[in-house]
Amino acid sequence: MIELQRIGVQFTGRDILKEVTVTFMPGEIIGLVAPNGTGKSTLMNVIMNYINPSSGKVILNQELQYTTKKNEVKIRQLVSMMPDQSDLYNQISGKEHLKIYSSMWHSNPKLIDQTIKELGMESYIHKNTGTYSLGMRQRLCFAMQIVSDTQVMLMDEVMNGLDPTHVELISQILVKKKSEGKTVIVASHLLENLEKYADRIFFMKNGELIHVNDISPGFEEREITTLRIKELTDHLKEKISNEFPETNVKSLRNGSTLIDVRGYDSKKLGNVVEFLKVNEITEFSFGKVTLNDLYSMYYQEG
Amino acid sequence: MWNMLKTFFILEKSNKRNIFACISVAIFVFGLMFFVKTEDLGNAVKEKSGEYQSLSSALSQYQNVDATDSGNGSNLYKNLVLQQLLVSKQRMAIKMDRPELFMDAAIELTDLRTKSFGMEGFDNVESYLPSKIENQLDRVFYDYMNQTGIPLSIDSLTFFQFLSYLFVVLGSVWFVFISIYTCGIMIEDFQHTSLIKGYPITFDKYVIAKSIATMLIVGVFIVEIFIFSLPLLYFKGVGNPSYPIPVFDGVFTVYPIYKYIGVAILYMIFISIFTILLSVILNVLLKNMYLTLFVELLLFIVPMLFPNMMNLIPYNPFNYMNYSHLLNGQTPDLANPVVLNATHGLIYIGMSIVLMVVAVKIFLTTGKLKRV
Amino acid sequence: MWAYFKLEFFQFMRNKKNIAIYVILLFFSCYFAIKIAPTYNPIEKVEVNEIEARYETREEFLNNVVINDGTHHLTRYAAAIFPEWNEYDKQRLDAINQNNLKEYAEATYKWYAYSDNMIFYRGGGVLYYNPGYYTFGNNYATMDGHFGYLYNASRYEGYTEVNSDLTINIFEERTALQTLQRLLNSYLPLILIVSCILFTVDIVLKDRRNPTLLQGLPLSDWRKLMVKGFVSLLGSVLAIIPLSVGLLIIGVQNGFGDFGLPVPIYIADDIFSNRMMWEYLIQNMLLIIFWFSLIISLVLLASVTLKNEFANLFVASVLVLAELMYFNRGIGAIKDFHWYPTSYVQVGQITSGYRNYLYASEALTFGSGLAIIGLCTCMFLFFTFLLSNRRKFKLL
Repeated sequence: MIELQRIGVQFTGRDILKEVTVTFMPGEIIGLVAPNGTGKSTLMNVIMNYINPSSGKVILNQELQYTTKKNEVKIRQLVSMMPDQSDLYNQISGKEHLKIYSSMWHSNPKLIDQTIKELGMESYIHKNTGTYSLGMRQRLCFAMQIVSDTQVMLMDEVMNGLDPTHVELISQILVKKKSEGKTVIVASHLLENLEKYADRIFFMKNGELIHVNDISPGFEEREITTLRIKELTDHLKEKISNEFPETNVKSLRNGSTLIDVRGYDSKKLGNVVEFLKVNEITEFSFGKVTLNDLYSMYYQEG
Repeated sequence: MWNMLKTFFILEKSNKRNIFACISVAIFVFGLMFFVKTEDLGNAVKEKSGEYQSLSSALSQYQNVDATDSGNGSNLYKNLVLQQLLVSKQRMAIKMDRPELFMDAAIELTDLRTKSFGMEGFDNVESYLPSKIENQLDRVFYDYMNQTGIPLSIDSLTFFQFLSYLFVVLGSVWFVFISIYTCGIMIEDFQHTSLIKGYPITFDKYVIAKSIATMLIVGVFIVEIFIFSLPLLYFKGVGNPSYPIPVFDGVFTVYPIYKYIGVAILYMIFISIFTILLSVILNVLLKNMYLTLFVELLLFIVPMLFPNMMNLIPYNPFNYMNYSHLLNGQTPDLANPVVLNATHGLIYIGMSIVLMVVAVKIFLTTGKLKRV
Repeated sequence: MWAYFKLEFFQFMRNKKNIAIYVILLFFSCYFAIKIAPTYNPIEKVEVNEIEARYETREEFLNNVVINDGTHHLTRYAAAIFPEWNEYDKQRLDAINQNNLKEYAEATYKWYAYSDNMIFYRGGGVLYYNPGYYTFGNNYATMDGHFGYLYNASRYEGYTEVNSDLTINIFEERTALQTLQRLLNSYLPLILIVSCILFTVDIVLKDRRNPTLLQGLPLSDWRKLMVKGFVSLLGSVLAIIPLSVGLLIIGVQNGFGDFGLPVPIYIADDIFSNRMMWEYLIQNMLLIIFWFSLIISLVLLASVTLKNEFANLFVASVLVLAELMYFNRGIGAIKDFHWYPTSYVQVGQITSGYRNYLYASEALTFGSGLAIIGLCTCMFLFFTFLLSNRRKFKLL
């Protein structure tokens, strides 16, 4: 369990993080979603103590804090951050990288071969990393963190440069890690993918951490809450706004329109479909608000 | 700690720098052999001829007069004439293979020279004669030889003779070599900060592990020196490990070769640790390996550029970075003489090492490493 | 190409290491001008007392000596050679007392020529050169003296022919240009070459820190390397600027000297011929630039093959230091070391012929230096060219 208490960070007078208070539990995957430059990496750096926050504290397992160097080492043993792929040592092999991480964190050496297998890296793991492609390097970085086997894992842009197959593969591993009781904090721009496995998703804005549920209550519930229509003409928009209460209709920047149908029963929903059919709208779907929609909605003004 | 060492081992074994450093050590050893051979070092006949010539020109300052005791020449003149006579005798002794004669003449010669230093008009002939320090070193050397009856070495390429010469030369260049070798010690890590920053180990432990790893490699260099000198055993023989080398260590004395090598290696180890830590600190401060190197080399030559400083701050560890300079007693011969003592040197360097370790422990942390 | 040159050049000039080298050179040149140059104590000084003492002793001897059958042969010999010798000394004394430096130069030239002839060929162990040569431990004092006297004879002969204003400082080689000339004969070329090594050592490998930025430039690797080499050459030549500061200081103190001053060049067999200062300096500059090119081409080659800065440093140092391993006085008479580019590392000594004297050779000339170093440069560049044009080649 890792707790952030009233974390504040300022750069050149600007608040990057403002009184951030949050607790991440074991067996939980946390998604951090925000446009570039809103403080995701800063938050991770604070958790790693690479940046000293101007106020607040990080508490690990209710007892450990970054108060002494000794504690720092103890926390490092339990919290890791995924390395940057440009920081790999080009002149040694991927396997050696994994060995280094395994031995630095005293983790089970069996994890090395296991992870290599899981990520399908056998064919190139013995080559020098200087010869790797972007995706290979990214997988190696991920593998290194998996091998370090820490209780809390911070991953910044973990899916960068990966093909869909490997995105899927890594997602599965993340879920597995979650089932092992790890706390995984992922910052990612692959929203659909994140939505699939993240237990809680946070947006960041103006230095604050906002739980998605607070913006869209019921986001995490399993029921039909939203009608989403692609591509509407202005004429139709007008019709819709006559049909539905104004507060329930939202046009997004990505072109789609969301209509809040929370609490509608099947009859009411049937009426809605009827209406759509009459107006020759074919591309629509019922369901939840997607993370993509929320993102568009939330950051529209910014 | 052990894990850190293992990590460094993985990284260092793939580092080309180590290979080239090993080759440079090899070239140094073999190059020095060639140098000793082409320069014909230790050829007593050649040296004595030069000495004879120097004395001749010293004497050319005087009119030729009766040099007997009752003669009317100055004391210094008579002294110089006798010196020349003795040098001739030594040349003869070498040619006739009469070492005991050579030795007696040598001792007599140092006596004469000791007397000559105080004589009137000595300033005019000073440059033709060995300095007081050199003479005293000669004196203790020949005295020791005389007492122990060790035969005079004529081949400076036997194993131990060569090693003794090698470690003397090494004394002047060791700091420079280690500076070049270690000047980028942390810079390479700065290019991999996101890997290193998160290691569950404190920065001082990291630095200490790094120093130990580097010291192990330096140890390999030292072993290499001996290994590459081994062919001499076959071609030239062992030589005498107890052969004396005159040194100044607060007092004039002789070290047998094995002791000299021992002291030299001790110094080399201390200097290496010192330089490694200095490189670490300068790397963190300057973030540039060449600037680190330049600062180190400047610190190294400052005592040579401004010798008065040695007198002013005798505890400056850089006064001791050139141990052969230290042991051949040049420092008490300066305008502002200082008696630099080899043991004190080790203490000062040791204290500096401790200070730097403390500084690393207090001021530096891994988390704050910045990528360069 | 021009844009890439500008990019490289600005990077070069902003490189902390390079700035540090310039600053250090500036420091050394000032340190030299202020602390070392004033303590310069040439063996051959304009010393009236010394001439006078020698003149008078010999004159007294000549006045008193009686030659008869019983006279020792050395006394006869002295009586035979001292009159002419003393004649020159007398001329020197008179000239210097009248402050007629032209005449002093004339007499001094003859004095050195005569002295050398007497000492070297007829000295027979009783006549010596200036005692300054016979320092303790110098086994080649006579050879040094021989060279020194011939050198000075040629120099003073040159002074009688030039139109420049002569001064004592010129006679003692203390003016700025002559100091430069002396330095070229000692450490200056090495300092410049080492600076060049340090300038070049990272010029290729620095790009490893941000490879993607530069890989895509529409310029072949070979051209990139050439631009880098050229930037480094330019930077090395610019090292002259901080060094000239020290020269300015010396110039203000001791005069600047004159580009028309003679510089004696040793040809062979004890023959010297004078060259104008400007000519000598240009030759040196040229040879040094050739050396820069050699070092740069070697380091470029090492950069693309070994890809390690430490290795670059090592390879270049070996090239510079290799001569130490085989050089020995007179070795040139036995072995053909003039085919080795490393024998030309002492640029000033090559152009002044002193290196030939030390090697006892005639082949180590300015021309052969240019040819051999140029050839080696071309070879290194050719290998680099071949390598950089291989299909699998990667610059970084």
